[in-house]
Amino acid sequence: MSRPEIYSPEGLRIDGRRWNEVRHIKCAINTHPASSDGSSIIEQGNTKVMCNVVGPAEPTSSSGGGGAKSNTNSFANENKVTLSVKATVAPFSTIDRRKRSGNDSRIQEMCLTIQHIFEEAVMGHLQPRSQIVISLYILAQDGGMLQACINAASLALIDAGIPMYDYVCACTAGMHDTEVLLDLNRLEENDMPFLTMATLGATRKVSLMQLETRVGVDKLEPMMAAAMSGCHYLRQIMDAQVRKHGKNRLARVGA
Amino acid sequence: MPDVSGSSDEEDEGLFSLDPEADGEARITGVVKGKHIVTPGELVTSDSTWMRGHGTYSVGTSTYSSVAGTITRVNKLLSVTPLRGRYVPEVGDHVIGRIIDVGTRSWHVDIGAKQAAVLMLGSVNLPGGVQRRKSESDELQMRVFLKEGDLLNAEVQAVFTDGAASLHTRSLSYGKLRNGYFFSIPSSLIIRSKIHTIELPGGVDLVMGVNGYLWLRKHTQQLGEQGVSITRLAEEAGWEIYSDENEYIAPSIRETIARYANAIKALEYGEVGVSEARVIAAYEASKEYKGVGDMVENDAKRRIAQQALVFIQ
Amino acid sequence: MARDLKPTLIENTFVLKALTENVRLDNRSFSQMRNLDISFSSTEYGAVDVHLGRTRVIVRISAEVTQPRSDRPYDGLFVISTEISPMAAPTFEAGRKSEEELVISRIIEKSIRQSQALDTESLCILAGEKCWLVRADVHFLDHDGGLLDAGCLAVSAALLHYRRPEISIVGSGDARQVVVHPPTEKVPVPLSVLHVPVCVTFSFFNMKLAQSSLTAATSTTAATTPAKENDEIDMDTDDTDETAVLVDASLQEELLRHGFMSVTSNINKEICQIYKAGQLAVEIETLLSCSEAATAVAEKVTKLIRRRLKEDEVARNVGNVLEEARAENDRLVADEGVIQDMNND
Repeated sequence: MSRPEIYSPEGLRIDGRRWNEVRHIKCAINTHPASSDGSSIIEQGNTKVMCNVVGPAEPTSSSGGGGAKSNTNSFANENKVTLSVKATVAPFSTIDRRKRSGNDSRIQEMCLTIQHIFEEAVMGHLQPRSQIVISLYILAQDGGMLQACINAASLALIDAGIPMYDYVCACTAGMHDTEVLLDLNRLEENDMPFLTMATLGATRKVSLMQLETRVGVDKLEPMMAAAMSGCHYLRQIMDAQVRKHGKNRLARVGA
Repeated sequence: MPDVSGSSDEEDEGLFSLDPEADGEARITGVVKGKHIVTPGELVTSDSTWMRGHGTYSVGTSTYSSVAGTITRVNKLLSVTPLRGRYVPEVGDHVIGRIIDVGTRSWHVDIGAKQAAVLMLGSVNLPGGVQRRKSESDELQMRVFLKEGDLLNAEVQAVFTDGAASLHTRSLSYGKLRNGYFFSIPSSLIIRSKIHTIELPGGVDLVMGVNGYLWLRKHTQQLGEQGVSITRLAEEAGWEIYSDENEYIAPSIRETIARYANAIKALEYGEVGVSEARVIAAYEASKEYKGVGDMVENDAKRRIAQQALVFIQ
Repeated sequence: MARDLKPTLIENTFVLKALTENVRLDNRSFSQMRNLDISFSSTEYGAVDVHLGRTRVIVRISAEVTQPRSDRPYDGLFVISTEISPMAAPTFEAGRKSEEELVISRIIEKSIRQSQALDTESLCILAGEKCWLVRADVHFLDHDGGLLDAGCLAVSAALLHYRRPEISIVGSGDARQVVVHPPTEKVPVPLSVLHVPVCVTFSFFNMKLAQSSLTAATSTTAATTPAKENDEIDMDTDDTDETAVLVDASLQEELLRHGFMSVTSNINKEICQIYKAGQLAVEIETLLSCSEAATAVAEKVTKLIRRRLKEDEVARNVGNVLEEARAENDRLVADEGVIQDMNND
């Protein structure tokens, strides 16, 4: 059986995209107004992530880390907000249905990463002695799970009205021989080295950069450049969605 | 699919200039209309003469927005009001809260804000009137007055520097709640007015907490209406203000309460701001549904919300 | 809790103030590593002791014959276990995985196992039936910053040093058996190490943030002033020089830093892993130059490892006939040129 062609000589990828095209993006905010302060859902190609944000609220013992007593404020940070991130991977998110245990170290690492990203992006000093809980639900995986989680969390935090310096947008870029490919799907991810990058808004400041496969150091620069332009493009898409939602809402709420 | 390799040009409509040199009138109307949305990281103004309020941050001399919302301008103060967000307590707000913890000389009250509010033992009316001294035995029997899970309505007395609120119930319109039904909606949907305890047609009272917590109850004669002179009011306050017993509520009243609750939930579903007039309008609109239970359908909610808006206009 | 005690405010102020004047507490330059020392056990293969300044890590490699995983019958098994005990620092609790520990173990895993530094296919003995299980046990003995860098290079060095027992297969068909020969019988063989990953951690300090925290710490009114409505920290985007990059941070620098990036690379100028997770957002150009600097450090460290291995081999084989008896070809290594002691720079 011949393997599918990742990148054709005509410059087309396995799903018909060009090298610099991102997958189809669909996102929405305020999807679960009853259960959370902010919520979002994002689809990047076939990867689908849902995010709920609760807070800023009084810290509780169950979600506040550590086995402290239920006494309020006993482990709240006096100076800035406490963030906690939880991710659930749905058993039906991949083709082979599989029950995942909650303490998979890969998922734990991802939660920690997202926590560190938003500790910097959220203006935590404005919410002392309170807690924000970010819950992520990975509903479908087709490459770029981390980027979709970061983008979803960004949208949900904005929906919750939590002050932030800017959107945090994430995108992947891979290297197929000497060709850079943007926003990889699962097949492409398995086939080539790739990196995930997150930028703070449309700036050149990089909040996250992760690479987990071996690649020549000379190939790093084109990959980083492509990933960054992808991040900036995603910011536009997400921003447009937030504005659209805001306009609709303003038209109805008015006093 | 769009090409992203090219330079990403900034959102054209985004840069909203608040240059004081510019034509003032046109600018203000742009803001007051409330149609203009700014999002986090967006440049609000590059003029350093503005004072930066809530929802903004500064880089050098420029002011950027930190939330998605609308620009509010009070004299030289620029702030951005978020579209949604937790309730932020302000002094004088009428709120509904739930006791979550009994501490020493104070209760912790959940009011849906960033932090729990504090209700000091000294800020409540105890049976026996205003002049009554709080004794040590009152401290020991705080749970007799208010215990975990009790609902009360109160006023925000003060806000601490970290944003936490301190409450008081030193008026007979505040205190423990009974004879009714509790539910909550986003606080951003509550339209502030002077009076938040509303007598609705049909023998039902609505206590509309500014924090989005609502209480619908059977209309009862309040203490003030029983002919006690206003000066002696507080002294007349007996143990009944801390009573946990519900009075008899007729089935018809229960149904009216349910109808009001569903009407307000319909407004919430349509993300329509909630005010006294709109609640009554939604209630009137809901009368086309015979059964109160029929109002929980999304289509019905949408219709009621729309009709309420039309009715007001 | 006393075990979580952080350095006092005045110490922090001292370190940050020094950094704003381009001085590190131990008078290193920003791009200088601490004294690195690698020593191998004289009696055993695969036991290495790494000192990086005051940080100390030992790694022990062991191997046993076991069954391969059913979904990968042609691959052997390679397990890296990292546990940080209270021996390294009292902040670590025995048995409970802290966040720091999680990050360290994940990065070592990605650097070495996921980058296929060890050729797991070469560990296969009988497809689907028997294979080698190679274990690397990492023990952190003393913590003065750079646990990750020291741990990663210790595993790399130990894999190079280890010799597994020679085996032979007796019988045929279903009666096949694997015989493990003790070192007294047959010369143990080295593992097939494809490349030597070396991890370098860069610590980022935002100089403006450091400055503002200095002023906040010195003014006694800071604690009583009400929370500000907006953020007054000037983040001048034009100034690209605001981020200070430190190589091989000490414990105190680690506790104070605003962000970090770990880059694992090898002597072939390949990047195996990059980990920059949130915290301070850094200009893209800085990250790129860090990645390139990492390959230079990797080259130096690899050469040091090779040199120490050679020294160890010479010492080990004094008057030993086994060395003459081995049937292996010499491996081609990239460090035939000038061997430079990296401690002398």
